[in-house]
Amino acid sequence: MTEHVTIVMVEDDEGHARLIEKNIRRAGVRNDILPFTDGTSAVQFLFGADGTGREHIGRALLVLLDLNLPDMTGVEILARIKSNEHLRRSPVVVLTTTDDKVEIQRCYDLGANVYVTKPVNYENFANAIRQLGLFFSVIQVPETD
Amino acid sequence: MALVMQAARAPVGGGLRLPGPTLLLILGFAVLASISAMSITLVYRAQDDADRVNHTLRAMNAISQFQIMIRRAESAERGFLITGGEGFLRFYEDSKARALPTLDEIGTLTLDNPVQQARLAEARPLLQSRLESFERSIAMRKSGDVQGAQADLKSDRSEGAMTRLGTLLIEMKAAEAQLLESRDTASRHTAGWLTAVSAGGFTVVLALGGLALYLNRRTIAALETAQQDLEAVNAGLEQRVAERTADLKEANDEIQSFAYIVSHDLRSPLVNIMGFTSEIEVMRTDLFERLAQLREKAGEGPEADGELAADFEEALGFIKTSITRMDRLIHAILALSREGRKEFLPVDVDVGELVASIAGSMAHQMQEAGAEIRAGRLPVIHSDRLALEQIFTNLLDNALKYRREGVPGLIEVSAVDTPGFITFTVKDNGRGIDPKDRGRVFELFRRSGRQDRPGEGIGLAHVRALVRRMGGLISLDSTLGEGSTFKVTLPRRLPTDNGKKTND
Repeated sequence: MTEHVTIVMVEDDEGHARLIEKNIRRAGVRNDILPFTDGTSAVQFLFGADGTGREHIGRALLVLLDLNLPDMTGVEILARIKSNEHLRRSPVVVLTTTDDKVEIQRCYDLGANVYVTKPVNYENFANAIRQLGLFFSVIQVPETD
Repeated sequence: MALVMQAARAPVGGGLRLPGPTLLLILGFAVLASISAMSITLVYRAQDDADRVNHTLRAMNAISQFQIMIRRAESAERGFLITGGEGFLRFYEDSKARALPTLDEIGTLTLDNPVQQARLAEARPLLQSRLESFERSIAMRKSGDVQGAQADLKSDRSEGAMTRLGTLLIEMKAAEAQLLESRDTASRHTAGWLTAVSAGGFTVVLALGGLALYLNRRTIAALETAQQDLEAVNAGLEQRVAERTADLKEANDEIQSFAYIVSHDLRSPLVNIMGFTSEIEVMRTDLFERLAQLREKAGEGPEADGELAADFEEALGFIKTSITRMDRLIHAILALSREGRKEFLPVDVDVGELVASIAGSMAHQMQEAGAEIRAGRLPVIHSDRLALEQIFTNLLDNALKYRREGVPGLIEVSAVDTPGFITFTVKDNGRGIDPKDRGRVFELFRRSGRQDRPGEGIGLAHVRALVRRMGGLISLDSTLGEGSTFKVTLPRRLPTDNGKKTND
């Protein structure tokens, strides 16, 4: 993953956010990580003041999305990203605690690129995030147009 | 509930208290018996009356007979006096001979009547004198003194006696006639009574019969109403039970999903605590490395940090063991809730085979402990294999875990067949469970006795949850220091709709 790709992390638990960041960094990922702890601020950043997402044209974004947010569900954000003409090609990685089959199917139907269930035990959690980081370091992220 | 109570009370309040059929029957019998008794008495009285009438008639008849005989004797005497014919004489003798016994008969017949007796006593000498007069005339005529005899007849010395006798006989006859009339009336009376009593009895019996019929009908109607009410109440009750069951199921489902959510959500902060504890560990390593470098530069020895490092180690150790414990507990709740949400898949399971395979997997531990599992004949049941496996694994594991010191462990597994259900028994000779803990051991995170074996107090809670969901029961019988017996009663065929849940 090229250095100019920005990772947008939507995660309501700040501790989790920090741990995710640390473990991604341990995998050697040096990209910018923009953390958001609620849906509203994340949506505001992603789609801008006019709600079109036009301001991200020319930038490469990767969204790390938690589904359980205090003000809205991550599914809603996912649906908006994938139906937005500028953002729809940005990879969305759903990282959440839910392992409900129906929920997973719904996310892929809506266009999620990767769905990862947060392991409930720290060792596995750290391990999973590090592997995700390694994955980030090799994937290609297209620029928004 | 109010509705049910009302419905249940209705038939009780509706019935008016009337003499019961038994009482009625007794009454009917009493009436019949008294009527019979009265009838018999009256029949006897009628017979008596008839006898009396008959008696009087005989008396009257005898009096008439006597009158006739006297007249015959008189006529025969006169005939003889006039004609001197032997025939008349014989006729006279015959009449005389018959008159006297007749008089005696009258005497016998009127023995109970002093007035008649008095009359009879008066009549006797009169008859005697009359007969004497006849005899005298006859004797004169026999001797050929026709004139004398006729003169004697003419003079008729006994005429007065004859008149008096006639009067007496008429009186006697009249007295008897009067008696006859009174007796006849009495007889008629009795007959009337008899008829009245019979008719009355018939009426009473008819009335009682009618009443009995009416009461019977009422009872039957009341019974029918009661039955209908009962059916209605039953139907209501069934519906209620179904509703309650549905409510309970819903509540249970809610608790299950609640437990799932709670345990899931508890894990989220726990990941942070664990994660950052690991981070602190990493930081500590860095810190002590730095410290060592600094001390080296300053020319100090490394021993001074030993105490601090130990404190760090202790604190982190406590945090990590607590986290691990917490994690296990949450994991247990999660597992339990997952079990509760999992759908059973009933298949034919050979419990004997199942127990043997569990015993096989525990063989190593058994050998180490010097314990033995003995399984009797165990049936094949239609149930969820995984659930059965978990139930037996937990029970056998417990039996092996809580052995009595100094006694080789012996675990016996047996089964008892009852209609629809099978009761499995897992009996050990272990340390046993205190009576006060018998309920507690089935509760989550609760344990009993010495806490010298690893465990969270989850196994039996899990087993009970499973057994209950399968529509069964689990009970515990134990003597402290002698062993425990767990009895698991499970349906022979697990209902397929049990523990239905669409997703997990």
